[in-house]
Amino acid sequence: MLKQEFFKFDKLSVFVAIFIIFFTAVVLLYSSGFMRRRKNLIFYYLYLILTSISALGAVFSENLLLFMVFWGFLGVLLYLLIGFGDKDRTSSTAKKTFIIVGGSDAIMLLGLALVWRISGSLQMSQLSITLDTRIAILAYLCLAIGAFAKAGVMPFHTWVPDTAEDAPVPVAAFLPASLDKLLGIYFLARITLYMFKMDLAMNMILMAIGSFTIVAAVMMALIQHDLKRLLGYHAVSQVGYMVLGIGTGNPVGIAGGLFHMLNNAIYKSCLFLSGGAVEKKAGTTDLENLGGFAKYMPITFITFLIASFAISGIPPFNGFVSKWMIYQGIIETGKNGGYSWILWLVAAMFGSALTLASFMKLIHSVFLGQPSAKQKISDLKYQETVPTMWIPAVILASLCVIFGVFAYSIPLKMFIFPSLKENVSFYGVWNAGLATVLILAGIILGLIIYFIGTIARTRDSDAFIGGEVLEKNPDMRVSGTEFYDTIKDAGILKIFYRLAERKVFDIYNIGTRITFGFSGVLRSIHNGVLPSYLAWCLLGLLFLFYKLFR
Amino acid sequence: MKNLLYFLIFPGFLFTAICGLVASWVDRKLTARLQWRVGPPWYQPFIDILKLLGKETIVPKGASKLTFLSAPLVSLASVTLVSTIVWMVDLNPSKSFVGDIIVVIYLLTIPSIGLMIGGFASRNPLASLGASREMKLILSYELPFLLAIIVPIIKTSGAIRIGELLTYQLGNGLIVKNLSGMIAFFVVIFVLQAKLSLAPFDIPEAETELMSGPIVEYSGAPLAIIKLTKAMMLFTLPIFLIVMFLGGISTDGINIVWGISKYIGLLALVSIIKNTNPRLRVDQALKFFWGPLTVLAIIAVVLACMGL
Repeated sequence: MLKQEFFKFDKLSVFVAIFIIFFTAVVLLYSSGFMRRRKNLIFYYLYLILTSISALGAVFSENLLLFMVFWGFLGVLLYLLIGFGDKDRTSSTAKKTFIIVGGSDAIMLLGLALVWRISGSLQMSQLSITLDTRIAILAYLCLAIGAFAKAGVMPFHTWVPDTAEDAPVPVAAFLPASLDKLLGIYFLARITLYMFKMDLAMNMILMAIGSFTIVAAVMMALIQHDLKRLLGYHAVSQVGYMVLGIGTGNPVGIAGGLFHMLNNAIYKSCLFLSGGAVEKKAGTTDLENLGGFAKYMPITFITFLIASFAISGIPPFNGFVSKWMIYQGIIETGKNGGYSWILWLVAAMFGSALTLASFMKLIHSVFLGQPSAKQKISDLKYQETVPTMWIPAVILASLCVIFGVFAYSIPLKMFIFPSLKENVSFYGVWNAGLATVLILAGIILGLIIYFIGTIARTRDSDAFIGGEVLEKNPDMRVSGTEFYDTIKDAGILKIFYRLAERKVFDIYNIGTRITFGFSGVLRSIHNGVLPSYLAWCLLGLLFLFYKLFR
Repeated sequence: MKNLLYFLIFPGFLFTAICGLVASWVDRKLTARLQWRVGPPWYQPFIDILKLLGKETIVPKGASKLTFLSAPLVSLASVTLVSTIVWMVDLNPSKSFVGDIIVVIYLLTIPSIGLMIGGFASRNPLASLGASREMKLILSYELPFLLAIIVPIIKTSGAIRIGELLTYQLGNGLIVKNLSGMIAFFVVIFVLQAKLSLAPFDIPEAETELMSGPIVEYSGAPLAIIKLTKAMMLFTLPIFLIVMFLGGISTDGINIVWGISKYIGLLALVSIIKNTNPRLRVDQALKFFWGPLTVLAIIAVVLACMGL
């Protein structure tokens, strides 16, 4: 049958496809509010829908070549969609993205060729390659690089923060934050769990890449000054957890990794969409010029707060459940012997604390804290955004809560466990429902204490700052951008941060340097002076004669 | 329903609150004696809370009122939940669920988050500074803390239930009796000090420079809740560490005296460190935790891997 040859509809594909459609719907709704009164909107919506269709094609492909075709479309559409941004650097960011994603596609094609060479088949379901030869390992790595570049794993991540900053918010929420994660991790799961038989060493490599990505990206996020760029670095950091989870190689870890993929897509797009609402109102995403928005945009504040807690892994939100499963998976690998699991566990848990730190900074600088003097908060435009922009964020935020509280009965049971090859032997679950009820009981208890006290009649008064008046002393305002300068200036980290700011670790930058280095050498030969060309001819002739008449 | 009762009365809110307030009295009395004062009577912390409940609640102008007032409640709820989990397991190790160590570690940061969000919401630069210091302090101690907490997990070869740790310690002796456990416990004492934000790590609240930082704008009932939460932390956190490293507090017969003396000893140690050390700057604390303490914790982990 033609259908079976080219397409397949197994549980993993269906699960990813459901959420591709879901995110497309959410982003379309949001775009109708955000992208109003912009040019070429017909193309914008066309590209969005085409992206969605190609993504669906990619996840349902059975044949690897067909998969590659859809995958390539996605790269082009990403390039086109970034172009709708209105920053100065938009076009160069789009180019950078296209080169990194397209370049990795070329490497994937090489991987495909190697797979053909090894097994003589490009049907995903017929492949089962053991990683015992060098060529098999190379093939796996080539395919994995494609998945990594799509999902934004280090060192192929540098397009993600740039795109997040320069593309329009719905695009950033749609592609780097949700769809590319779903696709990249889907493909990684597909090759890791189905097409190749993993061995311990390869799992170790995956886990090392994952842990490194978590910590390094979140350290970069700590010091960012731009709302969207900061979120972009988190989009990189979170992939680390998914790679780590899949790399553990045991069912709990893999289920955790896949669940984290889903959770991350939910809360990350919620963060981007809420951030976009702020951008739309304030006209800027520079943290220096924001502040105090919670009072004017309460719905956006709450959705952002919930998503921040979810990404920082605060129980009982969804991010906690998947992280908790990944940690279990990591500890489980320790039973195979070896002690590297300690390193991965500490990296993952410490990365979670760092994530919390950078979101505390965001919450302070954007929604709480002292408003910037540049924002005239008495303006009428400082009201909640249009419903088409907050409804998607509210849907996503409530999913964060639902998937956290009812983690076992809804997402895990319906989507994650069926899509795994082996049965997940789950030793028991963390009873999020009970914990939530108890936390709510605690809050009600606190409220009772409040009402025993004098909360019913509160009095407003100016903030006490040692007798000074905040409005008269703009210097006293704490914008929050400098929160973690202590860490930036601490010891060895100072050197790394300085190098990172000079883009020494940017694979695109390294690539351009090498390319331009070569062309620079060759260009210096072509200096336009006739005698030097003659001298080159003479040298060439001499070499030729030497070779021929030796 | 039964769980709700556990949560609200014993070993949850009521029990923890009473014990915490008594513990804060022990701390105050010790402090007073060390400073050659008489010190308050045992019911002083209770009176303080009652008095605060009667005081006027002032909300800073232009602040996000809902966030400002609800942040302390979240802290209170989470510390109560931690206390309930730890005590339930301590009383009956078989009630432990998978991965509860991770849950407890995560829940233990929520009180600090509540404090920070409340501080941020108060629209006061001093509170913002204090809260940012709190976050930096969390980052500082989290690294050695995680490493130290892994030591018992290694010793029990991968137990992620608190209950398993307790039964292991019943059979094989306390974790702290091993060399690695001892070093890890040493590290954890400093972390304890920082988590309770007591001197030398009372950096976020620094009365003399930030006028108690994140809680500068709080008054009346919300301040009462914050004080209560702090007192409950003073009780819950040492208990968690006692469970992890010192074999918990067993309640049968005369053993209970031994269990309580473990807690009192730890509390006295905390109080003495608090009273004999000046406050560090936040960058010094960062260097201290990420430098010497992390190295010590790594040594403990390596020793634990070698089976010592």
